[in-house]
Amino acid sequence: MNDFVPARDIPILLGAFFVLSAAIGLMRFPDLYSRLHASSKLVTLGSAGIFLGVALEFAQTEALTRLIAVLLFQFLTTPLSAYLIAQAAYLRGLRPLLEGPDEWQALGKAALLDTDPNGAPPER
Amino acid sequence: MRGLALNILLALVWTLFVGEFSLRELAVGFLLGFLILSVFPLSLGTGGYVQRALAAVRFAGFFARELTVANVQVALFALRRHPPLHPMIVAYPLRLRGDSAQTLLAATITLMPGSVAMGFNPERTVLYAHTIGLNSARAARASVRKVEDALLPLYGQSAAPEESA
Repeated sequence: MNDFVPARDIPILLGAFFVLSAAIGLMRFPDLYSRLHASSKLVTLGSAGIFLGVALEFAQTEALTRLIAVLLFQFLTTPLSAYLIAQAAYLRGLRPLLEGPDEWQALGKAALLDTDPNGAPPER
Repeated sequence: MRGLALNILLALVWTLFVGEFSLRELAVGFLLGFLILSVFPLSLGTGGYVQRALAAVRFAGFFARELTVANVQVALFALRRHPPLHPMIVAYPLRLRGDSAQTLLAATITLMPGSVAMGFNPERTVLYAHTIGLNSARAARASVRKVEDALLPLYGQSAAPEESA
């Protein structure tokens, strides 16, 4: 067992903590939309922390450039999947559990469907 | 784009001068080249590039800070006994125009404290977001507006409010 190296181990521990909270949040939050907050934000920074720690462990240029590429794709794809899941659920009619207004519905849900009834892609 | 191409060219010229092609020298050359471009913005016609690059750096710092805040907040919500989620869906009238700018805004919103982007209206003038931990729709709109304010200079668009839908 190696000794505790703060520069390497603190990012990993923080990342693990965020990923653990994401798992707990996924279990405890009341509905799909709230759970997306846990799965998108926490997993992004959590995995970033773990990757950062691993890259610092190797401390080579190649490890760092790969870290940058991984983080870039992580930051690009995680919000995209959260967006698609939320939009698909909402347009399929899964009612969110709300304590405040639903301004999407207030503005007219029918007009906001991005596709026509035949399922063709929207005209741009 | 012309500014970026010039900057990369200057970085390559620097590696030729040093006689060593490595990531480190390329980065040094890029920084030196950026310095040259920012000292002579008019004669090289790169003023817009320098300003947008600086806006990008500022945005990266802003993003890192907000992402950290968001994570601490959601982690606390996950661990608290009765988290004050107060979920709601807000509509945000966009000032930002253009597909890539709006995509970046939606992605950033999702990683920011309290909000997950859910959709646009067909005209791409309103962004819908699910929010937690924010007390009012006004507060939610203010937090989206903060991101938009950071993104507007990046895309060279004015912050002047235009007619909203």
